[in-house]
Amino acid sequence: MKILPIMGYTLIYSQIYEYIPYLIKGSLLSFTIAILSFFGGMFFGLLFATIRTFGPFYLNKIVVMYVNFFTNTPQLVQIYFLFFALPEFGILLSPFTAVLLGMTLNAAAYLTEIQRAGFLSIKNEELDAAKTMNFSISQQVRLIILPHIIKTIFPALSNHYILMTLGTSMAAIFGVEELMGRAFNINSLTFRSVEIFSLTALIYILITILATFCLATIGRYFFKVKMKII
Amino acid sequence: MQNLLAEFPSFFTYWNIIFLLKAMLVTFLLTAIGCLFGFTFGILLAVIRKTETIILLPLRIIVIFYIEIFRRIPFLVSLLLIFYIFQILKFSDSLFFIAVVTVCLIGTAFISEIVRSGIESINIAQWDAAKAMNFSYLQILKEVIFPQAWKVILPPAFGFFILFIKDTALASQIGVMELTYVGKVLNNKGFSPMLAFGSILILYFILSYPLYMLGKKLEKKYGTHKN
Repeated sequence: MKILPIMGYTLIYSQIYEYIPYLIKGSLLSFTIAILSFFGGMFFGLLFATIRTFGPFYLNKIVVMYVNFFTNTPQLVQIYFLFFALPEFGILLSPFTAVLLGMTLNAAAYLTEIQRAGFLSIKNEELDAAKTMNFSISQQVRLIILPHIIKTIFPALSNHYILMTLGTSMAAIFGVEELMGRAFNINSLTFRSVEIFSLTALIYILITILATFCLATIGRYFFKVKMKII
Repeated sequence: MQNLLAEFPSFFTYWNIIFLLKAMLVTFLLTAIGCLFGFTFGILLAVIRKTETIILLPLRIIVIFYIEIFRRIPFLVSLLLIFYIFQILKFSDSLFFIAVVTVCLIGTAFISEIVRSGIESINIAQWDAAKAMNFSYLQILKEVIFPQAWKVILPPAFGFFILFIKDTALASQIGVMELTYVGKVLNNKGFSPMLAFGSILILYFILSYPLYMLGKKLEKKYGTHKN
């Protein structure tokens, strides 16, 4: 048993060792939230980026407004809004759905920007050639734009995925029992606050390092992108 | 919708508006202090990280650890950790101070990465040329690197300022009286959540949109010609 007294407070880590598996299981839920909202955001981001490139003027403006609004307001308040204000219209969301929906909407805004930056890097000649070959817009996006841009936007996407993994800690505020939520639970059980939150921080560091490593490997083998791990 | 309109006059009273504006000021101060501190120390850390002498190796390792660790802890976790550590150390009981310390710590780590990428965007040949002209390390940074690098640093830095405005919303969890907390208070007072959180969202938007536009303008100005 390690006891380190600091200013009259003793850090006792041994009391919380038994909760480590519980926390790790919670981190799986964090991962689920992050990955679901990331892919949801990717889908809507692709749709919105396509609208921004090919869409009509008014639709384009609406997407710009959506992106500006969601990138300039805090995700926490957005989820508060979804969770507390939507019931006024008779839409009752469970905490998990509210968090997932909020994170997806937020991610969609950021990923629209990232993917649009990729869209702009495509040469116009290629799109013109595709148009002459009678490709539809969805064909142009799927067959010409995506294979090109995945390489350029992959580092930005993986960066955003890491930020989103950190963002899942917000779910705890709404009572979802993911990593941070479980840390809150153990905190109220044992009152070993510093120990628990430092352990949680360590788990977050390990998760994100693992994610960075996996993404770098995927990038290297599938998309031939060289990414620095540190 | 009818109820919402009926609630308008009782929501936007003089004192409520003062309350909201004060909260907005707190959010702004948190961000501004964090950014100023973060920018100063972020540049310092990036400069230390780019040094090459053996003597500074331990310092470099500490800096790398600091940056990598603080970029990988969620704001909420570091906020609570610092909150409880301060409680143990009996250092300060001001919630605002705790939030400022957290924003500064995280801001330093994030901005230092931006500054580093800015420094690395300058061609290595310029370093060699400056070294051949017998410039010292600080001279190279001051005379050659930063005059070019700040164009690469500024646009993403504005993005991170906005990120901080949004991250400080989490400070409401420890009870700092900033915008989100005030939104919760107004909601608890019985105002419709639609109105309370809606006005908070709009105030956040007012706070960060000018920064966003400025960042975009700078990006347009400097983004086209890269060396």
